[in-house]
Amino acid sequence: MAEVNGDAMGIVLARVDNRLIHGQIIESWVPALDVDCIVVANNQLATVAFQKTLMEAAVPRGIRLSIGSVEEMADRLKSRELEAHRILLLFASPRDALRAYRMGILFQELNIGNLQGGKDKLRVNCTVSLTGDDMAQLQMLEDQGVRIVLQCIPSDRRQIWRRSPR
Amino acid sequence: MKLPRLVLLQVFLRSFLLQASWNYEQMQSLGLLYAVTPAFRRYYTGLALVDAYRRHLEHFNTHPYLATAVIGALLKLEEQAQKGVDPGFGLSEFKSAMVAPCAAMGDAFFWGSLRPLAGVVTLLLAFQGFWWAPVCYLLLYNFPHLAFRALGLLRGYGGGVRVVSSLQRWRLSDWSVYCKQILLLPLGVFAALISFEATAGLGLRSAWALCAGPLIWGVVKLVRRKISPLLVIWVLCLLSLSWSQLR
Amino acid sequence: MELSTVGLTLAAAVVCGLDRTAAGQFMLSRPIVAAPLTGWLLGSPEAGLQIGAMLELFWLGRLPVGSAIPPDDSQVAVGCTLLALVAQARTGMPLQAAAVAGLLLGMPFGKTGQFFDRQARILNAKLLRRVEKGLENGCVKSLERWHLLGLLHFTLASVATLVAVVVGGLLLLPVVLKTLEQPLTLVSNWLWLLFPLTGIGSLLGGLKVPRGWQIFCASFVLGLFVLMLR
Repeated sequence: MAEVNGDAMGIVLARVDNRLIHGQIIESWVPALDVDCIVVANNQLATVAFQKTLMEAAVPRGIRLSIGSVEEMADRLKSRELEAHRILLLFASPRDALRAYRMGILFQELNIGNLQGGKDKLRVNCTVSLTGDDMAQLQMLEDQGVRIVLQCIPSDRRQIWRRSPR
Repeated sequence: MKLPRLVLLQVFLRSFLLQASWNYEQMQSLGLLYAVTPAFRRYYTGLALVDAYRRHLEHFNTHPYLATAVIGALLKLEEQAQKGVDPGFGLSEFKSAMVAPCAAMGDAFFWGSLRPLAGVVTLLLAFQGFWWAPVCYLLLYNFPHLAFRALGLLRGYGGGVRVVSSLQRWRLSDWSVYCKQILLLPLGVFAALISFEATAGLGLRSAWALCAGPLIWGVVKLVRRKISPLLVIWVLCLLSLSWSQLR
Repeated sequence: MELSTVGLTLAAAVVCGLDRTAAGQFMLSRPIVAAPLTGWLLGSPEAGLQIGAMLELFWLGRLPVGSAIPPDDSQVAVGCTLLALVAQARTGMPLQAAAVAGLLLGMPFGKTGQFFDRQARILNAKLLRRVEKGLENGCVKSLERWHLLGLLHFTLASVATLVAVVVGGLLLLPVVLKTLEQPLTLVSNWLWLLFPLTGIGSLLGGLKVPRGWQIFCASFVLGLFVLMLR
């Protein structure tokens, strides 16, 4: 399998956000980066039947939306079917992001938007809380040379994430 | 059991305080409990009530106006669950599936489109010396605001899961694009009006007024490069002030 | 400053500040409403309307999406209206010049609003803890009260922002008025228009819709044409 750079596939932003498509995506990132295609790679979307319908309704016409499992979306991105688009790639967790990366979606930067807080989670900033597992996944991505950036919306400060301060 | 209208009205009124205790951990979760309390107190008593609260005390964050649609549907689903109807998914899953798309639609339509549209129309009125412009703004904005809040609750409570098809039918995300296009018309007229006003007393007035075009374009470029409009206005003001001193 | 002025400004600040996130969101918090409201309470709706009209478009493109907090333009609107009236009362300068001075001084302090708002939201997590603990013990009575206590946090945040805007502005006001009163009065007419022009740029910068530029330019040129003929 030929290794393909994420930029060459047309990915302008790869983001981890457990809310997937919401206001920050549609109103902030899409206009700021001139995105015209949103790819949602998530395996749990099928559990509630109408979730996909609602997501489709939340994206305005003129922006292409592609929803499917991580494997399907990795294949679609690699097939270069979407390469003419400016793509925003969404994952719900660092684990999915790492899986996609290992399948050959080589994004150079991973944006961390929202990861809900909860029990046994380490609060990194106001909107991001990480479990030990999340951190391990991010660490592996970082070891591969991916920049991990914490940033909710484009006007926020970019905060580079590192497991252990160097 | 069906909720009496009075209880629905209470839920509706309480939905206005949905965000009173917004926090980074669960966002509007307490607000949700607060809003559904009148209904929950009819559904449950004693330990069952505590249990219901506990079940729902979890992450909840959506657009405050469209939240009524989620709340309405949630109440319906609670009722159905009591009757033993199985919707095929948990209420928790239902909530988490609803909130993000509703937030996307609401943010795009209300914050991103309706607010600027009402604002620009009001500014046009205000610059014509129309003193009641702010009242017009409130009327213009709050009519759709209140309509969607009320309609959301009715559709949600009336239809349960079927509220999804209502939300789909409203096509708020498409309307947000149309509204933004529409708002550019009064915005253009407003730009023309102020540049015309600014060039009063100059010869070839409209030619000078056209110069506002490049000025606006320049600001757009700067703002897109993440330069704060605050800095832009300060620099522009200082430039104008020093220029007036030099003359 | 008279006590009633302080009280009325605070009242406007709290009403508009709560409307911003915590309660209602009827958009009383938008500058175009908040500033005239303050002006009206303080006896000069014109000053408020001018401030509101200049400020409205400025941060309109910054949306409160998800957990993002934009600069607090409501408190800036309320505070700057007060600043403008103070500047006018002290120097007797025309209203427009006073409004420009008030805004230029007050606006940078709007950023403090983001800090205070965040503190309120962090403080609100304590309320959640209380409710969780209550539910563990099977107590549901105080749940509603804990929730409503959040209003107090948001109120405090609004007042803190207002104080930052007003006190910061008042401290800088004498310095600026001493050096810039004359030139401000001279070009205030032009500066007054510069604000909405920058605002339009700022709003357009965030708006990306199909054929947006064409629609805007056509409407702008057509508007000028009609004004010229008039």
